Parts: sequence; C-alpha cells; structure tokens
Amino acid sequence: MAVAAVHSGGIADHIHPEPQGFVRRYVFSLDHKIIGIQYIITGFVFFMLSGLLAEVIRTQLLNPNGGFVAADTYNEVYSVHGSAMVWLVVIPLLTGGFGNLVFPVQIGARDVAFPWLNMLSFWIFPVAGLMLFSSFLMGAPTAGWMEYPPVSLQGEAGTSMWCAAIFLVGVSSTITGINFVVTILKMRAPGMTFTRMPLFVWGQFATAPLLMIATTALAAALAALFIERQFGVPFYDPTKGGSPVMWQHMFWFYSHPAVYIMILPAFGIISEVLPTFSRKSIFGYKLIAFSSMSIALLGFMVWAHHMFTSGLAPFLQLPFMILTYVIAIPTGIKIFSWTATLFGGKIHYTTAMLFALGFIGLFTIGGITGIFLAAIPFDLHVHGTYFVVGHLHYVLVGGSLMAIFAGTYYWFPKMSGRLMNETLGHWHFWLFFLGFNGTFIPMHWLGVLGMPREVATYDPQFAFWNRFESVASYLMAFSILLFFVNVLWSIRNGKRAGPNPWGARTLEWQIPSPPHYYNFKHVPTVYGLPYDFGQPLPYKGLEEELTDSPPPVTAGAH
Amino acid sequence: MVENRAQPVGLGRGFWTVTTILAVLSIAAIVFWSIFPLETYLPAAIVTARQVDHLFRFMAATGSALWIFVAGYLVYFAIAFRAKASDPPDAVGLQIHDNHKLEFWWTLIPLLFVILLSVVSVRIWYEVMLRPENGIVVEAIGHQFYFSFRYSDINGEVTDEMHLPLNVPVTLNLTSADVIHGFWVPAMRLKNDTVPGLVTTIKFTPRLTGRFPIICTQFCGVLHSEMDKQVLVIEPKAAFDTWYKMWQEKNAHASNALPAAGGQAVALAGGNATAGKQVFEQKCTACHKLAPFNEVLVGPGLAGVLHDPSRPNLVNGQPATPQNVAGILQNGYTGSMGTMPNATANGLSQQDIANLVAFLDTLK
Amino acid sequence: MSVASLARDAHGEVDQLYIETRELRLQGFLLFLISDCVLFSSFIFAYLYLRNSGQGWPPPGIQRLDVAFAAWNSVVLFGSGATMHYALENFKHGNWMRYMWFLLATIVLGAGFLGGQAFEYTHLIYGEHVTWWGSGIFGASFFTLTGMHGFHVFIGVCYLTVLVLQSAAGVYTRGKFFGITAGTLYWHFVDVIWVVLFSIFYLL
Repeated sequence: MAVAAVHSGGIADHIHPEPQGFVRRYVFSLDHKIIGIQYIITGFVFFMLSGLLAEVIRTQLLNPNGGFVAADTYNEVYSVHGSAMVWLVVIPLLTGGFGNLVFPVQIGARDVAFPWLNMLSFWIFPVAGLMLFSSFLMGAPTAGWMEYPPVSLQGEAGTSMWCAAIFLVGVSSTITGINFVVTILKMRAPGMTFTRMPLFVWGQFATAPLLMIATTALAAALAALFIERQFGVPFYDPTKGGSPVMWQHMFWFYSHPAVYIMILPAFGIISEVLPTFSRKSIFGYKLIAFSSMSIALLGFMVWAHHMFTSGLAPFLQLPFMILTYVIAIPTGIKIFSWTATLFGGKIHYTTAMLFALGFIGLFTIGGITGIFLAAIPFDLHVHGTYFVVGHLHYVLVGGSLMAIFAGTYYWFPKMSGRLMNETLGHWHFWLFFLGFNGTFIPMHWLGVLGMPREVATYDPQFAFWNRFESVASYLMAFSILLFFVNVLWSIRNGKRAGPNPWGARTLEWQIPSPPHYYNFKHVPTVYGLPYDFGQPLPYKGLEEELTDSPPPVTAGAH
Repeated sequence: MVENRAQPVGLGRGFWTVTTILAVLSIAAIVFWSIFPLETYLPAAIVTARQVDHLFRFMAATGSALWIFVAGYLVYFAIAFRAKASDPPDAVGLQIHDNHKLEFWWTLIPLLFVILLSVVSVRIWYEVMLRPENGIVVEAIGHQFYFSFRYSDINGEVTDEMHLPLNVPVTLNLTSADVIHGFWVPAMRLKNDTVPGLVTTIKFTPRLTGRFPIICTQFCGVLHSEMDKQVLVIEPKAAFDTWYKMWQEKNAHASNALPAAGGQAVALAGGNATAGKQVFEQKCTACHKLAPFNEVLVGPGLAGVLHDPSRPNLVNGQPATPQNVAGILQNGYTGSMGTMPNATANGLSQQDIANLVAFLDTLK
Repeated sequence: MSVASLARDAHGEVDQLYIETRELRLQGFLLFLISDCVLFSSFIFAYLYLRNSGQGWPPPGIQRLDVAFAAWNSVVLFGSGATMHYALENFKHGNWMRYMWFLLATIVLGAGFLGGQAFEYTHLIYGEHVTWWGSGIFGASFFTLTGMHGFHVFIGVCYLTVLVLQSAAGVYTRGKFFGITAGTLYWHFVDVIWVVLFSIFYLL
C-alpha cells in the first residue's frame, strides 16, 4: 500500500464529496467527464440536424434545375449547414467534448482549472445552437457560413440571429480555451513534464490558445455586422464609407485558425489510437508535438489565402501563398511519423484503428488539395467553386469527422464501461469510406470545369457527377445511421469493457470504466512517456485505483 | 526503455517490392497528369490559361505521387504488420521512437519541394498578375443578378454578352453596383471579385475565338445560381469592330447617366453648392485638387472646370457642361486616360451628384 | 509568492489549496485580459483600416474632437490607476484605512472619467455637427471603441464598489486578497487600453 505521491494539501489532494441528486450529477455537473459527455451528446444532435440539411442539399442537386426546395430555402439550408458543422459540431466535439472528456485524466488531474466556468461554457452551447436553428423561423442567413457583406447586410432577421448565436458560442469557446491552457500549464501530475505529456494533450494545448485568441477576433467582426444591420452603424457598407473587404480580413483572421482548431485535436486523437492498436511507440513524438505548436502559430499568418480574388495588392498576396505552403511541412512530418508508427507493429483492426488509418489517407488528400488552393494562379481559377467544397470536406470529414468517430469507438468503453459493437463498426467504416469518397472526389473535377459553389441550380453538363455524388451521400448518411444505432445499442448491451480493453498505456486506462468522479484516489507520479509497449507502465502510485477501497475524501463542501 | 537501433526487421523484400510498385504507380500518375488534355475539357482562352494548366499538372503530378506513397505504405504496413492469430495476446511491436536520418530527410525533401513549388508558382503568378501589359480598357460591373460591360467609346452599358477581339491585350476593370460578385471565366482560368467601392483590375490577352461562359462565384443573393448565363465572346478584330459599332449606334442616344432607379438623366435642379463642397472634400480630394488642369493628383485639377474656356474638354471628349459632368460622375469613365470610378463605386447618390455639380459650377 | 504564503487555513497551517487555486485564478484572469485585448485590437484594426481608406480624416461634417478636454479626462483616469496601485500596496502592508481611502478615490476618479465621457458624448451629439454612432465610419469606430472602453470602466467601477463592501465586511485578509489583486490588474488593463485609444483618436 505504499503510496509514492507527496501529500502537500493542495488541489491534487483535495477530493470533494460526491455530488448528490440527478441534477447535480448529470445536469449541472462540475465534473469534466460529465461535461465532456454533455458536449458530445449535444454535438452529435446538431450533427444529425446539420446532416439532414446536407441531405437536403444533395437531394436538391440531383437535378440541374433543382426543384426540391426553392432557391431561397436552399441558400438558407447550406448556410446553416456550414455554420452548424463548424461551430456546433466539429469545434465543440473536439474541444469541449473529447478535450474535456480525456485530457484532464491523461495529465493526472482531478478536473480542469475552472470547473464552474467549464459548466457555464457547456450550457451556453445548446442555447447558442438553438438560437442558430431558430433563425429558420425568421429568415435564416443565406450568404453561406461566411456571410460576406454587403449581401449579408441585405439578409433577413435570421442573419442577425446568426451573428448573435455564433458570438455566443464563441464566448463558450473562449472560456474553454482559457480553462484548458491553465489546466495544462498548472495541473499536470508530479513528474509529467511537457515531454512526457500524451500527444492528445499536446493537441489540446496547441488548440486552446487558438480558441482563446482567434475567437475573440471573430466576436468583433460579428458584433460589428450585427450593429450595422440593426442600428445602421457603418463598418462594411461601402456606400457609407465602410469596407466589405475589411469583413473578410476580420472574419478570416479567425476562421483560418478555426480550421486548425478543428484539426489539431483530431491529430491528437490519431496519435493516441495508432500506437495503442499497433502495440508500439509513436514514431517521432517530439517532432509531432513540435509540429502541432508550429501549425498553431503559422495558422495565424495565412488568413488572406482565402482572399486572393478580393482585390488585395498583388505583393500582399505572395507572403500568404508562401507561408501556406510552409504549413505543409509540419503537417507532412506528422503524416510520415504516423505511417512510420505502423512499421514493425502488431496491428489490430479495431474500428477505431480503421478510422485512424482512413484519416491518414483521406486527410492527406485534403492537405494536398489545400496546397493546390494556396497556389495563387490556380486559386484564381478555382476559388469559389466546388474544388474548394471538395477540399474542405476532405479535411473536415475525411479528417476531423473520421477522428471523431475513431475517438468515439476508442473512448466509449472508458466512459460507459461497455464496448461498441465491432461488426457494426466495421460496416460503418467501409460504407462511410465508400460513400464519402464517392460524394467528394468528383467535386474537385467539377470545380475545375466550371461549377461554382453555393448554387441551387447548375449547368446540365455537371448533372452526371452531381447525381453520383448525391447517391454516394445517401450511402454515407446510412453508414452514419449505423453509427448512432451502435452507440445507442451499446450503452445497454455492449460487452463489458473493464478498465483497459485496449491494453493502452495513458493514464485514463489505468482507472475504472467509467472513472470515479474524482478520477484518481491518489494522483500518480509520472516517470516517462506512455508509449513504450511491453515495458512497465511509467507511473507510481496507481496501486489502489482498481481496488474497492474508498477514496480519501477531504471533509467539507466542494 | 528499449530502443531498437538495429536495422529494423521488415525492410526486406516485401518492403522493396512494394516501394517499386509505388514508384511505378507514381510514375504512371506523373505521366498521366503531364499528358492530361485539360484543354479538351476546358478551352484555354487566354495566353496565361495554359500556364495555369501547367501549374495544375505539376501540382497534380507531384501530389499524386506523394499520396500514392503515403497511402501505399499505409496499406502495406497495415497488412504486413497485422497482429496474427498465432501471436501471444501481449505481443508488442518494435519500439522505434525515432530515426533521425529518416526524419531529417522527410523534413528536408518537403522543404525543398516547397521551395520548388514557390519558385514555379511565383513565376506563373508573375505571368498572370504582373507581366500582362496594359490594353484596351473594358469595365465589368456586377449587379444583382447580371454583369454589365462598359467600353471606352460606347455610351452607357452593354448588358448581354461581353465581346473581346482576338490577340489584343485587355485591361479589365471590375467593380460592382451593389454587393460583391465574382467575375469568372473558366476558360480564362482567371477570376476576380467585383467589389462595390473598389475597382480591381485583371489584365490578359485572348488567344482563342469562341463563346465562353461567365460565371458568378461569390454568393450575391437569391438568384446567385442564375448568374451563369452570360458569355464572353472572343472573335477576330473585324467581327469585334462590327459588334462594337452596333453597340455604339444602339446606345448613341442612351443617356450618359447610369440607369438609376427610374433610368433617367440626373436632375440637377435641386443641387446645393455648400453640400456639394462637403461631398467634394469627402470623396474627390483623394484624386482631384482645386487647381489648374495640369496639376494632376490622380485626375486633373478641377478649378474652373465649368467656366474656364482655356480648359480642354472633359476626359471623354465631351464639352464641359453640367449635364456632361453629371454623366461622368454617374457613369464613371474608363479609357486610355485611366479610370474614374462611377457613382456607385464612389458612393454618390443622385443628390450628391446634383450637389457636386452645383459646387463645381461655383468654381471660376 | 511570498504574500500568498501568508494564507493560512482554519488550523493556522499554510493553506496550500488556496495558494494553488490562486495561481490558477491569476493565470486564468491574465488570459482573460489577453483575450479582451484581442477584442479591442480587432476593433482598433477596423478603425485604422477604415480611416486609411482614403477619404480624409475626420470626414467632413463631423464634429471635431476636443483634445484638451480628453487629455484632462485621461489624467483623471491615469490618476485613478495610481490610486488603485497605492490601494493595493497599502493593503499588502496592512494599512487598512489608507487602503480604503485610495480605493474610494479610485472609484470617484473612475466615475469622474465616465462623467467626462458622457459630457464629451453630449457635445458630439448636440454639437454644431451632429455626430452619433451612425455618423459614417467616424461615428462607427469612435463610439464603438470608446463605448466599449467606457463599458469596461463602468464594470470596473461596479466591481471596485463591491470590493469596498466586501472589504468592509472583512472578506479579505493579509494572506487572501486575490479579489483585490484581480481588480487592480483589471483597472490597469483599462488604463492601458485608454492610452492606445487616446493616441489613435485624439493624437493621430
């Protein structure tokens, strides 16, 4: 029963009494794991809603002349689809969802730095989401998820609601960012230096400053749009001296880092899943961690590559092109390191692993087409076309969403105590892989040939590929249905998982499934990286975690 | 911590066989993209379009090769190193943490590639953006939901097709009357946004005759999808001249005023000179001084513009009368003398124009 | 953190929990101030971008700003920064009465600054050239930025008032007074923002 940790009387030694009652435990919970699950459930609900919108889009595009919905409705549908997927699905799932769920335990902490703010952060999220969807009742925004003025100044009331909703969910994001930065800086277990942190934590550590800093810049842009629309205060209207291009600068200064917010945590998930199911160390740990930080930093310097056709002075365009190319280098390092991780491994084809492998292949395609778009002369051809739509879905769906699926299959057993069904999981993966590629590969070609984006109807020469894409998208949607069926079924009927069904080595797998509210009876001491399979675990002080002994609860209210 | 420094097991025949196959596939992809006849799918209507196609082919070839290797090794390793049923349950793989030589090369080679791509794309960027010489000035204006075109010696606007003569350099100025539109001709491999309040410019030389769709690529309102029906017609100079003359005659009696809501000429009666002075200070002093004609900032000095007989005619050749000045204020001007933005780009209302004319009328 | 080590728990032991929690709060609060900085910076970018778009500044028809008055008002605000600094120092050294006087002085000066802003706004709105929020890009940038700043000052004044009441009720001790530290940091932040705003609106 020797416990190695030093009792200093500080936060690590302070276990509050268990919260009582359904409301304190599951509704207004201060527990980062419950909050993480709340984010994940809410995020998946918005995912289903937004996915339905996507199928409306694809059904409309079955025919060159549309006909499924009116053009104005279609414009509302794709605008809310894009906005919801970015702000109500991918960002919350990866940061508030998987972030909250996993990294505090991985660093040996009992909770995040500011649990009450964490709870507040969460509850803002469904409110903001409802606000966004309520815009359908008052004329939803129609100018895409980017809402460029002056056309967004002409939008109906729903555009102002969009401003308010995104502003609000941005507040949630900013608070989460602050919370995560402080938690990682200050609450790592004894012995866990930065170079012993799991890579998922590095992913969150690279993302959190982006959440904190970039989101606030968007808040200013949105606030200005809102007050211009509602009170006639001119920022963007050129007939009143304002500048429409200024919106683009302010919007993209946030929205480019936002795409890194949507991929860095996903990189972290892949970096956990791959070693576990290869039964070997991640290759190139330091470079992977360092590349995450450099991608986060470089991400602030490339925003105007979304504005090559906006009338920027030519010499201003060049640095953005070059810096965007440069981001390919740390990204490439990661991809090569992940591939090398498989070498000499003992690979298990769990569903989580399949999605991780698929991620590497598909995200690479998205990264490559990103380089295409960075090349100004080529961008001058395909900006605003389906080439961009293809690219963005490869990185966000072939990338982020696949990582979200991988993370779900991987950590579901930890949080629920039950495994998801692997057979259904494999069907999910293969049908999704097929449907996804069928939907989004042809878009690149359509863009090059001449199909613009954000259109309800199109030239009949593009009809064949659009129909192909729509049918493929139904397959993709079906596979996602299988995923949700699997989740719901497995909560009750999944095989019991035990604390460590995967034989993984990070700290969350050394405690029960599901974990106790206090995470650890005794905060462990950490002696090394968690990726050396076949070696003893690099922790001391975990002896009691899987026993029935009671936790040393500190007297007094939380 | 065990660190395996010996040459890892597995870099044997299987690996090299796969590498060879991937190399062959990559070469096939490179060949494919190098000879891919993009122009049969999409004509190359201007000189730089072919260079953009070269850039595309270069990136497609190298991108395909890269992806083939990544995906190829991914699949190969995933299969070759799969856990076999005969493995003990706690079997682990080789704990390889890093390989500095490998990491060095796979950092350096992408870096070199980035440098190469930068050189290639900067060259082509230069060809597209900076090299083209000035040419005949045409203006394309975005509206909800069509493009209109203006030519130096045609009054008013051309509202259906845009015509250009073959092999003659063009300077295309772009602006918008309302919201941001995207002016794209896929056959040109070139687009630019039309931004209200700004004039943006692209320069090119048409090299192929034909009719090429013009497509709006920036969401501009409910009928954005419909804004893909106009065409750019590139034709031999003689045919172009015929078309040009046709429009000159068609618009000869068109009012020089930009069709405002009612489509009428500017009403100058209610102009207020004091208000006009404020508008002048706010909007015009960036380019015009209240000084003799030859004191040019961007445009000529405007002292005595309506009253000084020693001044030359207005920039479009018309005599300096209040209605003609109003016409320039409303219509703007594009021609060999340069560009004066139109009323919308300058944010001038009808009343502003009237006020300005009244103010200019006070200048002796 | 030598002052924080004065924090004692109910048993007279060094309150490690408080010390660690205070560290977290301090970092979190500083990060919050950084993100607030980004908010102001974005609007400052918008102002400079619009101002630079070639129409002359201030645009005609706009009421001129009274630099002298604003300079005096700035002195009032910076003075309140000094008084807040001395308030905190006196608290740390145990000089209770001086702490309270300086704190109250800060509130008075802060409120005075707000009064000055209100006075200036009135002159702009009811001056020779009516200038309000919707008055072109000048009104948009000036009133939005100074209004945001004024709102931050207002929140600050409210918070300092709460501090006065809490201090009177004995909430803060020589070892545990993070609320006062945070208030001081916030107040200095508001001062720094004003230095920038004053420079770019009145001096530029």
